[in-house]
Amino acid sequence: MISNIKTNEKKLIKMTIGGYATQPSFKNPGYIPNNDGQAVIYPGMFGIVNNVKVGDKAFGWAGDHIEPGVSIDSENINEHFALHYLVCTGNQAIVRSGEAKGSIGIVTGEHARNLVHFDQKILNKICIGDQIDIITHGRGLKLLDFPNIELKKTDPKLLKSMILKVVNKKLIVDVAIELPIRIMGSGAELNSEYVDQDLMSGDRKLMKKLKIDQMRLGDLIVINHADHRWGRSYKKDHISIAICIHGDSVMTGHGPGIMTIMTGHKKDLGWKINKKANIKNLLKIKL
Amino acid sequence: MNIKTNEKLLVNVSLMGSVCQPNFQGLPAEPYRLDANGNPFLLPSWGSIVHNVSVGDSAFGWEADCIHPGVSIKYPNEAGNRGLNILSCVGNDATIMSGEAKNAKGVVTGKSGRFSEQVILHFPKKIREKISINDKILIKSIGVGLKINNFEDVFCKSLSPQLFNKMNIKNKSNKMIIPVTNIIPEHLIGAGSGLTSESGSLHIQTTDNSEMKKYKLDKLKLGDIIYIENYDSSYQHGFLRNAWAVGIIGQTNGPRAGYGPGITILMSSKKNNAKAKLESRANIINYIKFIK
Repeated sequence: MISNIKTNEKKLIKMTIGGYATQPSFKNPGYIPNNDGQAVIYPGMFGIVNNVKVGDKAFGWAGDHIEPGVSIDSENINEHFALHYLVCTGNQAIVRSGEAKGSIGIVTGEHARNLVHFDQKILNKICIGDQIDIITHGRGLKLLDFPNIELKKTDPKLLKSMILKVVNKKLIVDVAIELPIRIMGSGAELNSEYVDQDLMSGDRKLMKKLKIDQMRLGDLIVINHADHRWGRSYKKDHISIAICIHGDSVMTGHGPGIMTIMTGHKKDLGWKINKKANIKNLLKIKL
Repeated sequence: MNIKTNEKLLVNVSLMGSVCQPNFQGLPAEPYRLDANGNPFLLPSWGSIVHNVSVGDSAFGWEADCIHPGVSIKYPNEAGNRGLNILSCVGNDATIMSGEAKNAKGVVTGKSGRFSEQVILHFPKKIREKISINDKILIKSIGVGLKINNFEDVFCKSLSPQLFNKMNIKNKSNKMIIPVTNIIPEHLIGAGSGLTSESGSLHIQTTDNSEMKKYKLDKLKLGDIIYIENYDSSYQHGFLRNAWAVGIIGQTNGPRAGYGPGITILMSSKKNNAKAKLESRANIINYIKFIK
């Protein structure tokens, strides 16, 4: 961490938004095709996941797109978009109804819904439908000395916790793993302020060879030649830094999801591999 | 050696779609979309009857966002539209069933994917002048279930026997030799990855224009048959080393990130059982009789 990184933090708005703990949801008949075309049923998106946490492995679970912790959303479509566009990783969450009322959690990322971590004792008390408010903070955050690096969905607290250095006027960010651009898949069709992009894990041998199968939920990752400013596409010498937010998938074109937090040109932005660059360590998240 | 299929076992099913109206967002009526550099743009996009863009024309250079050449159709409800989008095969015959252009004949040339889900048809330009929004068009669909003898690991999608039989595919030492105009590396595939390969489109990504020149993709034409390296579309679209997919360019380039020219996938396999043969005439206009 560099103490003197200048931001516009004091100008940012802190605004509360409410979400609700979601129920798992399936399409009938529930099967999804795996990479080999076999029909399978797994626990997946939505819901409260009690035994997979930020910091755990992203691969190997008997699940598909597993979202650690509590997945919150609103059924009102405009509120749904507000949750996606205002909530930032590292934001504080407060349970407002039910047995866990008053308990505090932390946002660990955004997938098709927002993901919130709570200590196990609190998690045990949370019920589907409980209202969980997020004190959103981070939309509009800028690095004053790096105007061409764009930040997305980053609570100033997360930025301060990250291991950053300035070398030759370039911001160097510690990340746990590098992902090659050619494995970046589902999510290319969405704007980059919404949801995430999956890495395509179907080539299992390559995942093992590159040790991508060791990736953990919460890992900071980097993709070289990826421009995530207004979409997620190939652009030489553009760099995107993201957080691994959900678990692996058996479906072709899918895999663990990454949510962008920084994007810029290699003139301004670089990275250093550091296995400890995981938000569980950086934000000192207690299980 | 020529290649045989199970063509005689395929079922011919009628599908109906209506010519669709261009769509824009409702109130507050913000008409702009964002290009890959974050600039708002307002251009014609998918749907409707396009009078001056046809299969055989360039896929680049139009002041447009993923324009569909010719005529685009949809079915009014979602489940029926899925039926239309999945069962329509490129090369299928279409007939106009209502309106001033009644009885005119056309051909399916492509499909569009997530957020639009339309079927794209060619009709002669003179016929297009007579077609109106909501005119009913019937497609005699045949192709779903197509299998290639001795190539059981190859999945055919959206591929009619009418087109397959004209693609000049040969069997050479147990490899399919497929004439294509271009070979596309997997890192240039964008929107559509992870979605189903039975309907919809997969898009080349053109945010980095220098890559288009490098791989000569800037010369792509609508209707070109192309080959994608290291890409598996057996069930859904995704990266896999040594896999391959062959498709047809169905719609034009656009300014949005991830949305270059659209491809309707026709064949794919995880196995190393095909080889692309570069041929500039590998375009649907040279395979199926078209009246311009």
